[in-house]
Amino acid sequence: MKSRSCMAVAGFVVTLAFLFPMYAFGAKDKVVIGHPACLSGKYAKAGEQAVGGIKACIDWVNNVHGGVTVDGKKVPLDYKYYDCESKKEGVTSFIERLITVNKVNVVFSAYSSGLTLAGAPVAERYGMVYMDHGGASDRIFQQGFKYIVQTIGPGSKYHEGTLDMIHHIDPKVKKVALAYEDSEFARMTMGGAEKHAKALGFEVVFKRTYPKGVTDLTPLLSDLKTKKPDIVIGGGHYEDGQLFTRQMSDLGIQVKALSLVASVTLPSYYEALGGRLAEGVMGPSHWEYGVTYSAAGAKKEGLDWIGPSQDEFVALFKKAVGKDMIPEYHAAEAGAQVLAYVKAVEMADSIGQDKVRAALGKLKFMSFYGGWDVDDTGMQIGHSMIDMQWQEDGKRVIVWPPEAATGKPIYPKPAF
Amino acid sequence: MILELLGGNLAHGLLLGGVYGLATMGLSLIFGVINVVNVGHGQFIMVGAFVAQTMFTALGLSPLIAIPAAFVIGMALGFFFFYTVIRRLVEAPELTTLLATFAIGILLEEIAKLIFGADFRGYNWGLGKIELAITTIPLSKIYAFVGSIVIALFLYLWFSKTRLGTAVRAVIEDSEGARVCGVNVDWIYALSFAIGIGLTVMSGVLLTMFIPVGINPYMGGTYTLKAFVIAVLGGLSSPYGAFFAGLIFGLIENGAYVLFAQIPGVAPFSLTVSLAFWMLFFLLLLKPTGLLGK
Repeated sequence: MKSRSCMAVAGFVVTLAFLFPMYAFGAKDKVVIGHPACLSGKYAKAGEQAVGGIKACIDWVNNVHGGVTVDGKKVPLDYKYYDCESKKEGVTSFIERLITVNKVNVVFSAYSSGLTLAGAPVAERYGMVYMDHGGASDRIFQQGFKYIVQTIGPGSKYHEGTLDMIHHIDPKVKKVALAYEDSEFARMTMGGAEKHAKALGFEVVFKRTYPKGVTDLTPLLSDLKTKKPDIVIGGGHYEDGQLFTRQMSDLGIQVKALSLVASVTLPSYYEALGGRLAEGVMGPSHWEYGVTYSAAGAKKEGLDWIGPSQDEFVALFKKAVGKDMIPEYHAAEAGAQVLAYVKAVEMADSIGQDKVRAALGKLKFMSFYGGWDVDDTGMQIGHSMIDMQWQEDGKRVIVWPPEAATGKPIYPKPAF
Repeated sequence: MILELLGGNLAHGLLLGGVYGLATMGLSLIFGVINVVNVGHGQFIMVGAFVAQTMFTALGLSPLIAIPAAFVIGMALGFFFFYTVIRRLVEAPELTTLLATFAIGILLEEIAKLIFGADFRGYNWGLGKIELAITTIPLSKIYAFVGSIVIALFLYLWFSKTRLGTAVRAVIEDSEGARVCGVNVDWIYALSFAIGIGLTVMSGVLLTMFIPVGINPYMGGTYTLKAFVIAVLGGLSSPYGAFFAGLIFGLIENGAYVLFAQIPGVAPFSLTVSLAFWMLFFLLLLKPTGLLGK
């Protein structure tokens, strides 16, 4: 009986010893990125962009960079993704599946702060590096998670540039209104905007939220109109940004500057509003086609450069999605995340989770997306945001900061 | 200032309520006649929104022309889904019909995504605005409201003055009795389902006249929820009840904001949304059949 028990224990240990390296380090003939992608549901547009950006940079890593160097050997990157339908339950179950069934080496988050936050505890439970390209809320990094690392910039910084620019152009303007979606991301973004506005001497004359999925903003905007603000800052995600602008126009609310998060940066925003209503509206962005990050610029700043140039990325993106479309910032940040992971693996010379996480903590580099550096919590601190504005004939112009600007801002905003 | 704001919001609420009411009539009609709860209701509204957007942007046609077109497309979809799916489920347990209509909704979403992509679309039908002392109202909203009233009246006349309409009412009252009296109940089932879907798709066009942006394959879910609240409020099997409940819902949704905004430290918009559900809760306690339900 005793010898049978010993044999059973020995068998169990041998099985574990066999399985553990497979789980912990994955198969060494390739490195696999796992991703619960938002390919349907409310974030389908951002999800489509992210998948395109990831595929584009994987293409570059495998075919230009020659693969990822691990243990002195070049191995290709592979990509396994499932459609989480933009739902939290989809995110959590697919992350678990990617880790336990597909044996991926790293997990990329889904789009949005809420979904990123939902997936973080699952990745954490398995000690898996969890890379965040779509969740900007600072709160994600205040939970004490060890394995999360951000590529998208923190939400609290989104509107700093917008306010700096307006303060620079028109220091006499004082009245700011904040109207935003009651979501994790928007609360953090507007919290940062409010703090920065007060620091610059603006007066916040209106501050209200609206629920997610709202289909009519008339009551809130009618209330906002009575406060006669000079600047309106707000939004949340996509459809509400279009609704916000449209109903401001319907109610005849004229302001000197209007800046909305997320939706404004998409071409569909301009098209949905028939062009004219979008002109003069600004939005903070992580990346826009036309930014001037380059290998030479990286050298000047003493940073390593990795990845395709902007134009090479655009070509690879078009190939990946099979459409002739310019990528948006959701694609660029997801693509840059691939490059960050590759740099970290090569720096650690390992795909062991703790080693890669430690390398990501030390990593500083530049790519077509801009700078990349994280603090101790994993929050992005090396990437600068830009402000874009829709101008005449559908031109997307980078208007701030001055060193990245591709044109002058239109101020005050033309009347609706 | 508060009264001015309240007046303005109630005006907008009344206009939107009319469209909400029409958007719910189809749901009530289908439930009243064939006892099917259409969980895919909002997705049919989405189809209507795409009809309006496509006709305007691709063909340059006014949403007023899209209204009858959407009704025809909706009826065709209604007949198609009735004869392929719903007919077999008329006598089936409620869970089966819930699942079937849920699946139809997902199917419509994915077909729309395949055709139109996941972008948020819109159109700009610049008709101008009316400047009132208390608020500014775009003409397109007034057209949408008037359109809803005209369609609801037309439906009322059809129900009360035509033989087919009378047959539909007879089936709502007692399908077996109607069958004994010679009514082709199976045809009435199919026709009512098709009219219900036609009305719903048509209301999608009217909704875009109110809110001509944010049109995307997944926009339907929000409207399904609202339509269920309105339908229950009005009496589940009463299309007229649904229309009046829609008006009340629109007034509450817009009007209550002003009152809640006077309370310091609260988010008035979130409270406004919850108020509609609280009202539903109390109504069901006092009159479980809804406002006009029997």
